Amino acid sequence: MSNLKNHYHVLIIGSGFSGMAAASFLADYDLNILLLDENIHIGGQLLRRIPEKLAEDSPHPPEKIKKIGYNFVEKVKEKKIDLLNKTVLMGVYENNKVLVERDRKETFTFTYDFLLFATGARERYLPFKGWTLPGVYSTGMLQVLMKSWGVLPAKKMLIAGSGLFLFAAAYEFLKNGGELQGIMEQSPFGNKIKFLPQVFHQFPKFTDGGRYLSKIYSSGVPVKYRRRVLEARGDKQLEEVVVGKVDRKGSLIKGTEKTYSTKALAVGYGFVPSIEAPQLAGCELEYSQQKGGWTVKVNDRMETSVENILAAGEVTGVGGAHKSLNEGKIAASTILEKWGLQSEAFPPKKVKKLQKKRKHHLSFVRCFNSLYKVKPESILEIPDETIVCRCESIDMKQIKEAVGMGCADPNALKISTRCAMGKCQGRTCAPVIYDILQILCRKTPQEIGLFSVRPPFKPISIHALKNFSQ
Amino acid sequence: MKDLRIDSVKRKQKVKLTVNGRKINAYEGETVLAALIAAGYKTLKKNPVSEEPRGALCGMGVCFECTMAIDGVPNVRACMTEVQEGMNIEFDE
Ligand SMILES: Cc1cc2nc3c(=O)[nH]c(=O)nc-3n(C[C@H](O)[C@H](O)[C@H](O)COP(=O)(O)OP(=O)(O)OC[C@H]3O[C@@H](n4cnc5c(N)ncnc54)[C@H](O)[C@@H]3O)c2cc1C
Ligand code: FES
Repeated sequence: MSNLKNHYHVLIIGSGFSGMAAASFLADYDLNILLLDENIHIGGQLLRRIPEKLAEDSPHPPEKIKKIGYNFVEKVKEKKIDLLNKTVLMGVYENNKVLVERDRKETFTFTYDFLLFATGARERYLPFKGWTLPGVYSTGMLQVLMKSWGVLPAKKMLIAGSGLFLFAAAYEFLKNGGELQGIMEQSPFGNKIKFLPQVFHQFPKFTDGGRYLSKIYSSGVPVKYRRRVLEARGDKQLEEVVVGKVDRKGSLIKGTEKTYSTKALAVGYGFVPSIEAPQLAGCELEYSQQKGGWTVKVNDRMETSVENILAAGEVTGVGGAHKSLNEGKIAASTILEKWGLQSEAFPPKKVKKLQKKRKHHLSFVRCFNSLYKVKPESILEIPDETIVCRCESIDMKQIKEAVGMGCADPNALKISTRCAMGKCQGRTCAPVIYDILQILCRKTPQEIGLFSVRPPFKPISIHALKNFSQ
Repeated sequence: MKDLRIDSVKRKQKVKLTVNGRKINAYEGETVLAALIAAGYKTLKKNPVSEEPRGALCGMGVCFECTMAIDGVPNVRACMTEVQEGMNIEFDE
């Protein structure tokens, strides 16, 4: 595209709260900034809404934090920032160079002085027999369908998994006239209550938490705790879901299995940071269950281990919109300072305050993610015939056999079974495979390590490659 | 609710898509996936290895379970593509 520059002072990957916050503060200075996002709409996960093109404005006014976010979006659109939607970062190379693909039509390379990874998080899965049947969706998909496109996946459905997002999705589904057959939550009830106050504080969607829960309870929807989805059944599409009760250790209690007849099931097991791009850039990663798994290691100025590369938001630890917003601001202040710009928005005292706030957020992050801790039993009890890597259809039996033959790290397992080699390049199964290897091999996450990443880390279209411009 | 579209969302411009030779209605601003789900499509392809039926899982560009040929371009994610009047969609066999 002709109006783009070859070189940018700041390149921001991801237009969620963190990327957007950073961009909107940096936009006040004389800097060339490029903000890109793979999505059709900018705004990341939280700022999803029905597009103007599709329908008239929603009658529901957004919550306070979302308003802040929408203001950022407006500001960024008005400023001289180059904003690219439908654009995927495909590779990061030496000499501050990146490769991007736009709308599957064109590819470009750019160079940068500062690179900010604000790549967010994605959903975590726990495989069960039959989870590949059409009709099994993630709770994220349920939310996106309703919030961005105004569509229900089915008129009647079941929701299962763990964590409070189940309840947010359930609330939304009921509000939109769906008939909910039940919520099957894997963890015990007590767990949830302990964390509720903090979760309501950090996750703006839940500020009306009481109202959400009361709507769910008063609607008469059965909410069951300590329940695990054991199997999704159906000939060609989902027809039945088998759910069982688990004990305190997460082990199935035999004889408690119950079958629900349903055509749609949404499952959610929390979030994992999207670390692949920073990993490829050589940024040091650190594992912390309490931060959602593998995260990008940053200092209190949001700098990664690589010179002039920063990271902010969920990619440094899954913890909600306030954390992402705050980290985006810190990243902007660091870039301005390193650029030698006097910044009115960020006097040293203000930066200290943001850093202090961040410590607060991190303590929340620790309790939030402990809600999603995977119990060894829930991995060990996955039946052999359960598919783990969906793209390549690799099941638990193949993984166990490869581990038995000595494959004790993800890359050896990949070579031996082809897992994580398919189209999604392990985006869905890698976090599950890390958990499986840890538990089967009785090793730490650091000993197990990660799948290596190579560019392009999403399938690139041949058509786009033909239209390559430097 | 006639199809799976939420009634309270007042849609603007109707468009027509062809899905495996069959005409369906959609609205400008929707993704191909949203239009397909609203029209009742769940099975979007066969897994090339196991040949089992598959459908969308993530709805946000991660799982690649919704790839299909859109206007002749193969392997396009339906959940990341906006509909356009006259779009031709073909599922992978
Ligand atoms: C599925 C899902 C649903 C959520 N729902 C809620 C909710 O209802 N309420 C709530 O309070 N919080 C929700 N969250 C948490 C919410 O995302 C955070 O609170 C916060 O808004 C995250 O901001 P972020 O900037 O860190 O990341 P995100 O908002 O996730 O933004 C990251 C962006 O980076 C882009 N990106 C990633 N990799 C690339 C690449 N290689 N190339 C181009 N672009 C890329 C993505 O497309 C995305 O738009 C949800 C999270 C997820 C994953
Ligand atoms: S549904 Fe997962 S990529 Fe489209």
